[in-house]
Amino acid sequence: MTGFLEIRNASRHFGGLKAVDNVSFAVEKGEIVSLIGPNGAGKTTLFNLLTGQLAPTHGSVSFMGRDIGPLRPHQRARLGFGRTFQISKTLVSMSVLENAMIGAFLNDRALPDAARHAAAALERVGLAGVAGKRSGDLTLGERRRLEVARALAMQPHLLLLDEVMAGLNQTEVQEIIALVHQLNTEGVTLIVIEHNLKVVRAFSRRVLVLNRGQLLAEGTADAVLTDPAVVEAYIGGGASS
Amino acid sequence: MSNPDTSFRAPPDTPVAMPRVRSFVGELPLLAFVLAACAGLIVFFTGNSFAQNLLATTFLFAALSTSWNIIGGLGGQFSLGHSVFFAFGAYIAARMHLDLGLSPWLALLPAALVAAAFAMLVSWPVFRLRGPFFAIATMAMTEVVLALAMYFSSITGGAQGLSIPFKAGLHNMIFRDRMSYAILMLCFLAVTLIVMAAVTRSRLGYQLRAVHDNEDTAEAAGIDVLRTKLVGMGISAALTAMGGVFFLMYVRVVDPPSLFSLFDIGVKIALIALIGGIGTIYGPLLGALLVVPLEGMLRAELGGMMPGSNLIVLGFILVLTAMYLRKGIAGTGTDLFARIRGGR
Ligand SMILES: Nc1ncnc2c1ncn2[C@@H]1O[C@H](COP(=O)(O)OP(=O)(O)OP(=O)(O)O)[C@@H](O)[C@H]1O
Ligand SMILES: [Mg+2]
Repeated sequence: MTGFLEIRNASRHFGGLKAVDNVSFAVEKGEIVSLIGPNGAGKTTLFNLLTGQLAPTHGSVSFMGRDIGPLRPHQRARLGFGRTFQISKTLVSMSVLENAMIGAFLNDRALPDAARHAAAALERVGLAGVAGKRSGDLTLGERRRLEVARALAMQPHLLLLDEVMAGLNQTEVQEIIALVHQLNTEGVTLIVIEHNLKVVRAFSRRVLVLNRGQLLAEGTADAVLTDPAVVEAYIGGGASS
Repeated sequence: MSNPDTSFRAPPDTPVAMPRVRSFVGELPLLAFVLAACAGLIVFFTGNSFAQNLLATTFLFAALSTSWNIIGGLGGQFSLGHSVFFAFGAYIAARMHLDLGLSPWLALLPAALVAAAFAMLVSWPVFRLRGPFFAIATMAMTEVVLALAMYFSSITGGAQGLSIPFKAGLHNMIFRDRMSYAILMLCFLAVTLIVMAAVTRSRLGYQLRAVHDNEDTAEAAGIDVLRTKLVGMGISAALTAMGGVFFLMYVRVVDPPSLFSLFDIGVKIALIALIGGIGTIYGPLLGALLVVPLEGMLRAELGGMMPGSNLIVLGFILVLTAMYLRKGIAGTGTDLFARIRGGR
């Protein structure tokens, strides 16, 4: 059996643009991996390759030793993939609780069970107080947390968080960091896209740096963040944005 | 598949009160009240055969629109091709009755099954299309099946259509008085409302709404989007085909252009749902109660003097609801109710 999650020589082209360019890495069970990189580096596209939302132009993805290339996103969700969307894709005709229930229905058939698990997930992200609100009425920060709640309600093995802290205040960021650590001790493996380097240090186990679609560096937070190539990519205008 | 390492349980006493999630059983008292009110209308107009005819037509269209609402409203797949399933029901009942002498009651189940199977088969490729493209494809399907129906005259009677001989009796679903038809259509409406309420208050209903709101989110949450749409379409088409059986026995003379009519059936049942409140349980009934009697009375007033006047009326009501009641009658009413309660 190979690693828990493994992506090999994956590329995704959009016309002439190589949004993800020959990327390979593996994630072990129980890790918290941070994925950083300048705007337009290909981080979200890489997430979409992992979850199946996009098909790779080349390369393969395997999960728990199994090639999951042919699997659609809903099938990967059933294997234990949970994700949030960077641009939150809230179900606007539904209440906050109902949004979280959509995640819970992955494992629950009956409405009361789904509602109970959804409520617990909302509790964990601090949205229990607005459970009855129409989700379209939430603030941007609340919508981000609702994305997390919906994914949590799925009880995932692997959770992919795409910039969930953007637009949150200091206290809320601390709460999410605490939640990530708590989930991790419960056995959830996480890959976190994050721009805030302080937050990255707080997780600090292993950091992957993506630049112009390619894996630029990989290592501990301290090693990676002082790597001249990474500094160059961030400061020297390596970003194509 | 549940994950034993990471089960999230609600704490024994949750500090914040969660909103209640209404179950199917919780829906039943209102459902019973609504049906009783409809029955009250039938009783009130006893002896008035013009009114009984209007009620029969109103309940039939309310039921068709409710059936459409399962895939069109909850699932957000704006089909304009439901007249095809409607016609399937009518022709299956007609052939079983005319060729085999079978009671139309026995045609209900085969009609539902055949229409559901057909609907799922033709929807399979079409469900890849989104938004207006899906609606246009269903319109095209209507035209194709209409052309086929005109061609296969041994089944449909071709341009002359076919007629069911008048042999009154419950067994034949043929009645001398108009009131019996109103009761028949009310029973059909009850079936569609019960199914709609059951779907709405189930996992399938939530998943259909999720698909409607955002297919990417739905997929990421583990919902098989295509399968969900197909199941919703199958249920919707099955009920619509049953409506075709009742309609056949009500009018007893049918030809392909009227059964497959894009406007009088396909578009109308969608518009009624839109006016009443798309995706809500009682919206289509409210829409039908508003539109059908108005149209019927106008037709009686003007007779054949102004063909197409019903189109003008329907268009006018649609514009008014679009301007003042964006979510239809039921949707706006629910919002208002929520605001009044929330404002206390
Ligand atoms: N569906 C698409 N079609 C065409 N180009 C795309 C598509 N999705 C992403 N891109 C392009 O691919 C590149 C990588 O985008 P991606 O969203 O993966 O970057 P990112 O690292 O997530 O950036 P950010 O930090 O801004 O979220 C960008 O240049 C983007 O414009
Ligand atoms: Mg991104």
